[in-house]
Amino acid sequence: MAVREATSIEPEVAPDVRGPTAPLPATILALGVASLAVIALGVVVSQVNYALSDRVLTQNCIDEQISPEDNGAIGVCSIVEALEDPTTTGSLYLGIGLGGLALVLGASTYRRMETKRRRDHAITGAVLGSQAVLLAAAILWFRSASPGLFAKHFLNFADLQGYGGAFVRGARNTLIMAFAGELGGIVIGLVLGILTLSQRRAVRAPARIYINFFRGTPLIWQLATGYFLLLFGFGIRMSGLVVAIIVFALNTGAYAAEVFRAGIQSIERGQMEAARSLGMSYTQAMRYAIVPQAVRRVIPPLMNEFVILIKDTALVVVLGLTATEYDIFTTAREGQSATFNATFFTVAAIAYLIVTLPLIRLVNAAEKRLRSGLVGIAGAGG
Amino acid sequence: MSEPAGSVRAQSVGKPLIRLEDVHKWFGNLHVLKGVDLTMQQRDVVVVIGPSGGGKSTLLRCVSLLEVPTTGQVWFDNRNITDIRADLNEVRTHIGIVFQAYNLFPHMTALRNVTLALEKVLGLSDDEAHDRAMDQLARVGMGNKASAYPGQLSGGQQQRVAIARALAIEPKVMLFDEVTSALDPELVGEVLEVMIRLAGEGMTMMVVTHEMGFAREVGTRMLFLDEGRIAEEGQPREMFYHPQSDRLRQFLAKVL
Repeated sequence: MAVREATSIEPEVAPDVRGPTAPLPATILALGVASLAVIALGVVVSQVNYALSDRVLTQNCIDEQISPEDNGAIGVCSIVEALEDPTTTGSLYLGIGLGGLALVLGASTYRRMETKRRRDHAITGAVLGSQAVLLAAAILWFRSASPGLFAKHFLNFADLQGYGGAFVRGARNTLIMAFAGELGGIVIGLVLGILTLSQRRAVRAPARIYINFFRGTPLIWQLATGYFLLLFGFGIRMSGLVVAIIVFALNTGAYAAEVFRAGIQSIERGQMEAARSLGMSYTQAMRYAIVPQAVRRVIPPLMNEFVILIKDTALVVVLGLTATEYDIFTTAREGQSATFNATFFTVAAIAYLIVTLPLIRLVNAAEKRLRSGLVGIAGAGG
Repeated sequence: MSEPAGSVRAQSVGKPLIRLEDVHKWFGNLHVLKGVDLTMQQRDVVVVIGPSGGGKSTLLRCVSLLEVPTTGQVWFDNRNITDIRADLNEVRTHIGIVFQAYNLFPHMTALRNVTLALEKVLGLSDDEAHDRAMDQLARVGMGNKASAYPGQLSGGQQQRVAIARALAIEPKVMLFDEVTSALDPELVGEVLEVMIRLAGEGMTMMVVTHEMGFAREVGTRMLFLDEGRIAEEGQPREMFYHPQSDRLRQFLAKVL
């Protein structure tokens, strides 16, 4: 048992257990950034270089099953050649080296960094470095398989000439279907959502059956069956586009019903009680007090449903649409079956992204705005 | 029915305004009200005190029929409002209620909170509703905040708007359910002030409260509700200074 010296009048200071300070936070960050940049630059520069230079069909490409008869063979060949060029190879290995170094240095020293800022630099450097290593490894792996075959089918844009107008029309039809379907779905969903909140089982049951049916069966089946149900069952002949819109509205209605139900249930009980205590009927309380508040809360999830529906419209490919009714995906499918070139689907994916990415940003912004609580005040009145 | 529904507004001075007969309330297996009998005359200010869980709020909510009694009857203005045939929407326009959590409509201005029921329930024109609402807001000292949204008001201000909203439908009785319990201490006074003035003007009131000073000074009658029963009732001062039951003595010792 150690006895402290009684004569000590020095103030006690806790021992410094922080250990030595780690060096080089900025260097680690720079290494991480550089590793990613080297890979990106190497790949892009050699692709651009091959695309712009005199292009030939090399023996290497022919070995990769790109034949001279293929439309666009030379373009595909330059993609493959650029990918196997020493510039690309060098940049990939250099990127792995730099990234690995950033990862090792950062991971081993970040705990001993002096300030939060320096620690963040070390961690970010290590994370970027690991991303560079993974990216380069993925490219090397892809390159070692059959990049020529893949490029020939999915990155051969030569056959797409003359399809620009078709894709624009397809995008328009996709948006028409998604928008009309979503609008119809919102109306159906609001009614169903309120019905599911009824005290009476007799009112709730049909709504629940409807919702469970449309949520529980594949949309592709609903589309295909809906068309024939209308035609044979009810003797109604409609264009495929209209049938698709009806089925999308019915289907989205089931999902929107759950969104509205949750939105209405999220409104505090006291709101309904306050409205009723003023003599309002249930319907009036819903209409003036509850639903206007719920609608604000369900805007982000409904927009999310809209984004999902935009992509789901691709399922109309199973319907016998006429050429002017084609959506993005059916346009691509038609192009692909005419040319045996799947690059049409690559373009379709890009077309979907052009439509959906801004919407996704909008959804996120709306969610953020709602979370910050601004809507309760500023969104009022209308 | 011998009396048409609209006749409730016909005055009935001297008669009891509210009468509860053997009211029981069960929530599942929980027996919250165990046979409450109560009569309120016009101009009564009945204060309800008691330990939490004793059924104070439930009693108040049974009077406004926000909760339906499991058994027993509630009579309002000589009409059995627990009868299934009673038009509760119409009855509720005679019973104002103010809640602990204010429950203002957050998507409407203070003014709109007040005018909404005037237009949609009482059928007043826009102008009439506006004028009456502005009068009521001025009455609670909120005339200058008519265009503010609830989120922009303090708790005390919101509660005063809620009182104005309830008063605007010109109820025969006002129910207050722990209306100051959620307020910061410095905001309690402004709300109590409004309630004291209201009592002075002769409004019939039922007040569930923890404000013992208010209970003593403003209440014309006091109920001590304990374990679902009215354990003691009488003049507030009498009950404060000479509690009869041990339970009330213990309760007062804790809160005073």
